[in-house]
Amino acid sequence: MNSGKTSTYILVSLLFFAAIGLITGLYSGLLRIGLLSDMAPRQISPIAHGPLMINGFLGTLIGLERAAALEKMWAYFAPVLMAASTIILLSGLQILGQWLMLLGALGLTYVMSYLYYLQPKIYHLIMALGAASLLAGNILYVFHFPIFELVTWWAAFPMLTIFGERLELNRIMRPPKQAQQLFTALILLWIGALVVTHFNRSVGWIMASLLLTGVAGWLIKYDVARRTIKSIAWTRYSAISLLTGYGWLILTGLFGLWQGFPTAGPIYDGLLHMIFVGFVFSMIFAHASVIIPSLSGKLVPYHKYFYLPLILLHLFLLARVVGDIAWWPVIRKIGSYGNVIAILLFLGGIVFQLIRTGKIKKSELTSTSN
Amino acid sequence: MTVDTPIDRRKIVRKLRDVIDPELGVNIVDLGLVYNILIDDGKMVLEYTVTTPGCPMRRYLQQQIEETLASTEGIEDYETKLVWEPEWNVDMIKEDVEFFAHPPPMQ
Repeated sequence: MNSGKTSTYILVSLLFFAAIGLITGLYSGLLRIGLLSDMAPRQISPIAHGPLMINGFLGTLIGLERAAALEKMWAYFAPVLMAASTIILLSGLQILGQWLMLLGALGLTYVMSYLYYLQPKIYHLIMALGAASLLAGNILYVFHFPIFELVTWWAAFPMLTIFGERLELNRIMRPPKQAQQLFTALILLWIGALVVTHFNRSVGWIMASLLLTGVAGWLIKYDVARRTIKSIAWTRYSAISLLTGYGWLILTGLFGLWQGFPTAGPIYDGLLHMIFVGFVFSMIFAHASVIIPSLSGKLVPYHKYFYLPLILLHLFLLARVVGDIAWWPVIRKIGSYGNVIAILLFLGGIVFQLIRTGKIKKSELTSTSN
Repeated sequence: MTVDTPIDRRKIVRKLRDVIDPELGVNIVDLGLVYNILIDDGKMVLEYTVTTPGCPMRRYLQQQIEETLASTEGIEDYETKLVWEPEWNVDMIKEDVEFFAHPPPMQ
């Protein structure tokens, strides 16, 4: 009997496209900060960094995770469109790529809304709002709004998805009802504050920063990570990644209150990377041991090696942010390169462990059959 | 041989305790995800659920359940059914269960 109607090969293929989105997104990010700046022509546009990371990588990955959970063919439209947008953007067909991103986000919003329809719980609503944020960001992108006006919606996509997932998982902690209502209120008000930024950027950002600090504080107090940090292996690793990610969220809120939200420049860069690298990638590191088996059916054996990329991620991000605040371009550049290395080391570690396990199992099977 | 005695059911439940939800580090029986083990004409039907319709572990758990049933002595024909009624909630978890007692494997 075969488990699941969808072949694991399809999932792994789409996962491969998500990886292409990640690697090309990282590469275009390096081009942005000056890698190969004296060489022309560049194969990938530096301005593709954001769209590739948010849509090509995160959109494909999150869409794939939901489609695999639902086991419905139509649910695969979202990750397929997101994966296609990566390839189209990389081929230089900017307009078509943008529209594919928009359609992919529309598909993802439908999938997340369907989940809310199946189980109308607040965590599903928060995740659906996350997908709707991606859609809002992509609509603004298609209609040529400047990135600094839409990037908050792109950021809200992984953030709300994670907030919803953590609220769902933390049901086992049985947080008081009032605490759950407080979390919901903080998140809804935070979304409201993001809307306000379109009318009054500084007021909206102060509100959003305060509320974000509140959300992060709630997560630190109620997340199961506070308990599981005493565990071992992946469980402890995941807890450390989660808690450090929440730490970056608090720093983002405080930094936002201190510096505001400029429309460009090093402070803008620092704020965005505190969210996307400090928070989002910490969450990816934290959830990798669950995401991989959910898509490939294979557990990733734990190894303490995985602390190396986690530590590097945080240290180099710290360097980058310090470089941004003090405007030390070299430090900023070192921090950026270091972050890319940390992410690649993590990805490489996962692939290595999967291949190694596969080989061990194969040799065990061979020796058994002999 | 088919599964037609209460002892066999207990054996199946014991085996299913080896299926761990990696997200929570608890076996699926103690999590309250196994709803029914039905036996009909020598065929075993296992009704189970997952914690939410969007649960990313759904495919993995199904695969693990099927592998466990396939390797259980005495079960020749089986079917797994994912059901949504009644909706799973935290009160279905076995009392005093230790979460994350089974972290994923180390190497």
